[in-house]
Amino acid sequence: MHIFKLLSTFFKVNVQQELAYRADAVVNMLMSLMWLGWELLSLSIIFSNTATLGGWGPGELVTLLGVWRLVNTLMAALIWPNTEKFNNSVRDGSLDYTLLQPVSSLFLISFGRMVVWRLFDVLLALGLIIGGLTMSGGSATPLQLASFMLLTISGMMIIYSLWIVLIAVTFWFVKFDNNVTILQALMDAGRYPATVYPFWLRMLITFVIPIAVATTVPLQALRGDLAPWQTLLFLGVSAVSLLVAMQFWRFGIRRYSGASS
Amino acid sequence: MLRIYQRLWALHWAESWQYRANTLMYLLYWLVSPVVYLAVWTTVANTQGDVRGLTANDFITYYLMLLIVDNLTSTITVHILAYRIQDGTFSGDLVRPVHPILGGVLMNNLSFKVLNFGALLPIWLVLLVLFRPDFSAVTWLNLVLALPAIVLGFGIAFLLGAIITCIAFWTTRVHAINEFYNAVSLLLGGMFVPLALLPPLAQQIAQFLPFQLYLSFPILLILGKLTPEQIGLNFGLQVLWLGLTWLLFELVWRNGVRRFSAVGA
Repeated sequence: MHIFKLLSTFFKVNVQQELAYRADAVVNMLMSLMWLGWELLSLSIIFSNTATLGGWGPGELVTLLGVWRLVNTLMAALIWPNTEKFNNSVRDGSLDYTLLQPVSSLFLISFGRMVVWRLFDVLLALGLIIGGLTMSGGSATPLQLASFMLLTISGMMIIYSLWIVLIAVTFWFVKFDNNVTILQALMDAGRYPATVYPFWLRMLITFVIPIAVATTVPLQALRGDLAPWQTLLFLGVSAVSLLVAMQFWRFGIRRYSGASS
Repeated sequence: MLRIYQRLWALHWAESWQYRANTLMYLLYWLVSPVVYLAVWTTVANTQGDVRGLTANDFITYYLMLLIVDNLTSTITVHILAYRIQDGTFSGDLVRPVHPILGGVLMNNLSFKVLNFGALLPIWLVLLVLFRPDFSAVTWLNLVLALPAIVLGFGIAFLLGAIITCIAFWTTRVHAINEFYNAVSLLLGGMFVPLALLPPLAQQIAQFLPFQLYLSFPILLILGKLTPEQIGLNFGLQVLWLGLTWLLFELVWRNGVRRFSAVGA
């Protein structure tokens, strides 16, 4: 299919680009491993002082860490590099060439740049999720597991939608190149269950910058904390937010008039 | 000499003020982790009454004080200098009639700090209302003693940051080394967890390493958690580490500048 052919071409181009900086990729992977060690060490310090964190056990926090790392990888592999490229292209007008292509502009600016070595991080994250699930003793029902997986994907879709809205704002305010800093700043709050945070912080990362919807909520489904209607609600919200974001993007594109004209 | 520093201050203050929106963003970014750790540890304390003798209020006062101390003692040298060594623009700094690091870079750190601190204060007051800490254990004597502890702590942190940045003279890139330094500092300096909750052996090691001298020590000093003997020991360690980092900095700087080949020039 058309889209898949394009994706695999992008992938190949990005692999070629990155092969020029092999040592960099290796160092970055080692850094990722170091932070993984740091994160596991910090969890072991927490659980050497307590049996549960707000009712959550060690296995659940390891799974949460895996989901958090998955979201983080989405950011680092696609969102940050493409934002940088996009911001520059609005400022210098090279977005013209993207808009002229016979493919969805949103698709091109989302996947043009891929940090390929981050696939390693995806593997680490999946390892953590499986490891955490085993630690919890595999008590989850198939339905809980299925909603966990669906909500993880839909949570990432919500973050992606928010990203589209944030960068589309650049069409109105060209100098708004801090557009994704707020997303990045609150990422760290996703490492722990949002239920332990004070009310205002929980509201902030659930409704304003919905990091918790992509990290805590899937875990709540896994623990059986969510009623079926809540799961369906979150899935509905993610579909709606994606549609709204795509509409907002089209609306923003109409504002764009190039940099020189 | 004083006039040079005055001019450098004016220059960097104007520069920092230019980027005040970025400063605010940076502040928000920096604020999230301590607040998250605060929430994690108070949750643990609330579920079981206390954590090895530390109550919820102990964690709240600890982390609120941490925001102030970390703001005063942390440095941004790696972020403002490493890329200049990497791309060769550092050559321009070398021909100035004042030490590039102890002059411009230091002043840049200080102006950033003053601006940042001004922005932190109103946020800190809001957090005070939100968390309602009980600071009754803080005495004027502790606050006065904390001043030299914070100045010495900043000196150590500044020199360590400068040493790490100077490694760029050999390796060009210092990002990975700096990340590693940050990770160790977060665990052994008292950021992720008050040091009293580390395993005993780790506590012993952390006590004699420099990381806690610019974070945990000033905080505990202000909060009145230290005995006179511990205060004496920590001040002694601060002077010792300041001397050691100074010697190391001189060594790295002298040899590094000679190796510097000004990439792109």
